Amino acid sequence: MASPQFPAIIQRERLMPRRHKWMTPASFLLLPMLVYLAFVIFPTLNSLVYSFTDWAGYGADFNFIGLKNFEKVFTDRLFGNAIKNTALWLALAMTVPTLCGLCLALALQGKRLINTLYKSLFYLPIALSPIIIGIIWIWVYSPQLGIINIALKAIGQGHLAKAWLASPDTALTAVFIAWAWQQTGLNMVIFLAGLTSVPMPLIEAARVDGANYIQTLRKVIIPMLRPATVVVLALTAINALKSFEVIWVMTKGGPFNRSDTLAVFMYSESFRKYKMGYGSSAAVILFLMTLLIIVFYFRQTAAAEELYD
Amino acid sequence: MTRPANWTRRAGQAALYLLLTALLMAFMLPVYGVIATSLKSVAEVAANGYWNLPESLNLANFIKVIDPEGGNLGLYLRNSLLLTVPACIFSIALGTLAGYGLGKYSFRGDAMLFVFIVAGMFLPPQIALIPVFRLMNDIGLYDTIWAVIIVHTAFGIPICTLVMRNFFQIVPKALREAALIDGAGEYRIFLRIMLPLTRPALAVLATLQFTWIWNDFLWPFILTQRADSQTIMVGILNLTGQYSVDWGGQAAASLIGSLPTLFIFIFFQRYFIKGLTLGAVKG
Repeated sequence: MASPQFPAIIQRERLMPRRHKWMTPASFLLLPMLVYLAFVIFPTLNSLVYSFTDWAGYGADFNFIGLKNFEKVFTDRLFGNAIKNTALWLALAMTVPTLCGLCLALALQGKRLINTLYKSLFYLPIALSPIIIGIIWIWVYSPQLGIINIALKAIGQGHLAKAWLASPDTALTAVFIAWAWQQTGLNMVIFLAGLTSVPMPLIEAARVDGANYIQTLRKVIIPMLRPATVVVLALTAINALKSFEVIWVMTKGGPFNRSDTLAVFMYSESFRKYKMGYGSSAAVILFLMTLLIIVFYFRQTAAAEELYD
Repeated sequence: MTRPANWTRRAGQAALYLLLTALLMAFMLPVYGVIATSLKSVAEVAANGYWNLPESLNLANFIKVIDPEGGNLGLYLRNSLLLTVPACIFSIALGTLAGYGLGKYSFRGDAMLFVFIVAGMFLPPQIALIPVFRLMNDIGLYDTIWAVIIVHTAFGIPICTLVMRNFFQIVPKALREAALIDGAGEYRIFLRIMLPLTRPALAVLATLQFTWIWNDFLWPFILTQRADSQTIMVGILNLTGQYSVDWGGQAAASLIGSLPTLFIFIFFQRYFIKGLTLGAVKG
């Protein structure tokens, strides 16, 4: 390009008033920010407003009723039940798929062909929709044709066979396993990425010093995996809190609301019973729980960055 | 290494792979079941059960669920495609703009703004469900695929901005400065020099966004009502009501609905995994 413009540029840079400094980036950010504010941030804030109202979901009429919706956590048996189920779901989610993902990552790390193949198959469920996962797991649990009951009968334990999704004691756990089937693969992928940043010389040094595999794991590998573990725990918790599809397809929150988590409760109150103000308060509680995790996550990663830099 | 140690090591390895293989088989059982059953008629499932191998390669279930007189999956597939492709393009385009603004310029509050946008990645959709439902009713987009396109565009902005900003940050500063000296304007630099470089980042985002939007259920479930605007995942769930005893039909529908994302998973796995772990682990 022509060079006569060269002095002009220098001049422009020098004479450009301070306030113009942000004009160019602002022009790039304007459109995305407008869309983000209008359809993500504004609705989020709007939910907070609705949670203090008795809005039904249709019509323009509603009254502000203060904290009444939130007080129902203690008085509405179903609301309290949803929170209890969410806590249980969260506790299962933080442990089972995290440990399974870690074990698989440790067993399958490396570039050996069989490892690559096995890894691909273990994270295949990530590509599937939770709707599909729900449908295919219903068949695993089916009372007559399900593989679990067939297997139990085959080993002579037929008396243990039951309708897993229709029994109050097993419904939540059964749905959880279907959900964890997908989450495990995702966690494995993140742990595998974390393992590639564990320096080999460190592991070899530990070995030379006579440490066995378990000791190396506990003293070297697990501590080095700390950043990956933080990510896995945060992502799993966030995914667990919002998971709706698998539960909806498999049990719709039943039987007797035994698998009714906040995400499901929020949907049925709002869109089945047309109590959108009330449903919003469930959404707000879900949001606050998520926010807690996000804050923990950002603080942990910030701390890790300071540690490494 | 001494010989016995080597021997126990090998035995240990063999045991490990034996265990892994058994685990993998159990893990893959639901996938096997859905494939096997998609090839069976109702009568065959009743006679031979769900988990036995099918007697023949019978594609009748697939034809039945696609047929407009049957499951009508063709319509849902078309809707999903018409929704997923634009939503991918829009979210990536907006994310590229925002990512460039944040990655290549520094201004007061840029770090705060970045955190503000990225935090949206973690928001549960439930928090926006009711207001968006109302908003779409108010602006007359309820029950159109445009409602879902807009939502996925907006909710895709955080991840797309994150990926693009990280990408633009590693593009050497000198590239822009040299072009500035050559007299190119800021927008010309963005369009002519920066955009052509982004191909790998675009591949990562395209695979991620396509998979998420295609597989999503909650938004189209809330925002659409008629079959004409419903997506494949909503359609498949409708089908499970319609074909409640026809497991073969449900299995065939599930496989058809998963084909596009499985295709991406198999052929673009490298980008997909990169996207999943992006920013997740330092280094």
